[in-house]
Amino acid sequence: MIQKKICMLGAFAVGKTSLVKQFVESVYSDKYHTTVGVKVDKKSVIAGGQEVTLLLWDIQGEDGVQKLRPSYLRGAAGYLLVVDGTRRETLDTAYAIQQSAQQNMGLVPFVVVINKSDLVEQWALDDKAIGELTESGWSVYRTSAKTGQHVEDAFLTLAEKIMEV
Amino acid sequence: MIEPASPETLDKAVRDKPDNHDRLDELRRLLIGPEQQELVRIQERLDRQEDLLPEDISRVLPEAVTIRAHKDKKVTEALLPTVEEAIGISVRKNPQTLVDALFPVIGPAIRRAISEALTGMVQTMNQTLEHSLSPQGLKWRLEAWRTGRTFAEVVMLHTLLYRVEQVFLIHRETGLLLQHVLAGEAVVQDADMVSGMLTAIQDFVHDSFSAEKGDALETLQVGGLTVWIEQGPRAILAGVIRGNAPQELRNLFHETLEQIHREFAQELESFEGDAEAFAPSRKYLEACLQFQYDQSRQASTEKKRITPMRVVAAILLLALLVWGFFSIRDRWRWGNYLARLQNEPGIVVTNAERHWWSYSIAGLRDPLAADPSALLREARLDPEDVESRWEPYHSLTPQFVVTRANALLNPPASVTFRAEPNVLYASGSAPHRWIADTRRLVRVIPGIERFNEDALVDTNLSEALAVKERAERRVILFVLDTTELAQGQSDDLEKLGADLRELLRLAPYAEKSVRVEVVGHTDQLGTEETNLLLSRERAEQVRSLLAAKLGNAVELTATGVGASAPLREERTEEDRPFNRSVTLKITLTDAP
Repeated sequence: MIQKKICMLGAFAVGKTSLVKQFVESVYSDKYHTTVGVKVDKKSVIAGGQEVTLLLWDIQGEDGVQKLRPSYLRGAAGYLLVVDGTRRETLDTAYAIQQSAQQNMGLVPFVVVINKSDLVEQWALDDKAIGELTESGWSVYRTSAKTGQHVEDAFLTLAEKIMEV
Repeated sequence: MIEPASPETLDKAVRDKPDNHDRLDELRRLLIGPEQQELVRIQERLDRQEDLLPEDISRVLPEAVTIRAHKDKKVTEALLPTVEEAIGISVRKNPQTLVDALFPVIGPAIRRAISEALTGMVQTMNQTLEHSLSPQGLKWRLEAWRTGRTFAEVVMLHTLLYRVEQVFLIHRETGLLLQHVLAGEAVVQDADMVSGMLTAIQDFVHDSFSAEKGDALETLQVGGLTVWIEQGPRAILAGVIRGNAPQELRNLFHETLEQIHREFAQELESFEGDAEAFAPSRKYLEACLQFQYDQSRQASTEKKRITPMRVVAAILLLALLVWGFFSIRDRWRWGNYLARLQNEPGIVVTNAERHWWSYSIAGLRDPLAADPSALLREARLDPEDVESRWEPYHSLTPQFVVTRANALLNPPASVTFRAEPNVLYASGSAPHRWIADTRRLVRVIPGIERFNEDALVDTNLSEALAVKERAERRVILFVLDTTELAQGQSDDLEKLGADLRELLRLAPYAEKSVRVEVVGHTDQLGTEETNLLLSRERAEQVRSLLAAKLGNAVELTATGVGASAPLREERTEEDRPFNRSVTLKITLTDAP
């Protein structure tokens, strides 16, 4: 059986842990927990025609002050770049993180996830900004860790991308 | 140097100069004839590739299989159905062949499996039994109940000095689990996640404390669990250890990791998430699952184990205690019994002995003394256990002397005895007859030589004396200067006579004889001579009157004393008539 390490990257409180929880256990909690360091979880999926065990490294969020720890990224087969759709600045952070990650890991597959799609009235990202993302060839998903919308799609797409490499 | 001509160049030359064709043909045959033939042969073989000769395949088959087996598993996969079917057919056709082939393998394998199963079972049972009944056992049972583990497991955890419960082989780069082994009953979490977290924690610690490159977290400690992490260039070996493991174990980890690096260098380098290639490393990791029991702790529990020897010893000790208790109690009771006997009148202990299970006692006993067997029962000793030998004897203890005197002398109720050495004292009153008999019989009583009757009243004698005194107090009065009875004195004389008759009747009971002297008196008037005469006549007068009344049953004498023994001092004229009288003087003597 194939195992792959996947990192959850993104700014503070964008919903990385919630996404993992939704994906692995299909549950959601309103309570906010700051992740310190890393929390590792796992989930088996079918990708590339075979069973793949994804080891999800839920890494503590980055706000620019704290540097992304390269050691956590080491050996990752891919990553999920998480953006909070209600906070514009988290997209900038995501860009920065993507740069940093690419420096560290080289070109590894990743999927951009714009989370909190359930909070429509607070939405802060316009279609233009999202369009820019897709235009640069990135896979983008609007997800909701709360309702579970597109969460599995995002993870599965990433898994497929990883297995294509 | 001449370059050899290629066939194409030659053909071209032939085409250009047809007349030279034959010669050139000849030259070609001479120059490259053998090669040409070889080429034709190869051509033919290539054309016939469809139907390769079995000889050809047979020549290369073993090498071909070996080369392909190194590359992938296609050969095995291809052969698998055939081999399976072949085995099936073989078993159906003649099972014996397969049985014969497998026999040398199956026998030892089954024996080993059974022996391992039994060893495991016996060990678990031993430990369970050992710890079942001790207070510690109860504590552990509670713990087992609380933690949801089996009792045997809890026992093992506590008696364990150390045990490597799990070993993880982790890919260093990705933190992915390559291989994982665990000891039998260890409780495990998801190994993949643990592997990831272990790597993450290592990274976290390394980054957080800006450790030197090459330095890494080597030990994690949580309660009774220790995680030893051995770093290699491409893989990490992590052992989860319960208890305190020795340093040698660390060396073993280190060597194991080195071995794995050597053997799986290629696989570690090209690891892409498929841990299958590391399956053979399992045996090295399993070698790391070491454990050691706490011998001293086991020994200490061994000490507490109930063995037949200990049971016997405990029973003996208990028996000794019980025996000791009863022994001391009986000794105390025996002592009490002896003391009681010593104080008991009429019993003299001459010999008393205590044996293992019985007693013997010998001595003298007055038949009147207390019964020693009754005393035994009072002392709560079993008469069965005591051999008694009592010689009868007569004790001179006063109380027994008195008892014996009472039995022998049969005294009237009014008599009380008191004994002193050699003397029996009697007090109270008794008939003369009994007293006389007692005087004679008393010497028969052992220890009595004399009879003291000072305090004893002879009832017969006292009655007689009372009558005697009454008679002696009577006075018969006379007329002045005559022997004539004064007026009314005949009645008194009658009474006197009656007294004397009674005295005569009583005297023989007291063994007395009665002698009566009739004494005549006068007053002081007249001469002494006349008075003497007169008094004698007066006495004679009464004597003859009494003799007439009593006959010769009694000895009666008469004397006259004149005025020499007056009954009353004559101070006045009224006193004189009393002295003109007759009185009696009675003597009781022992009857012959």
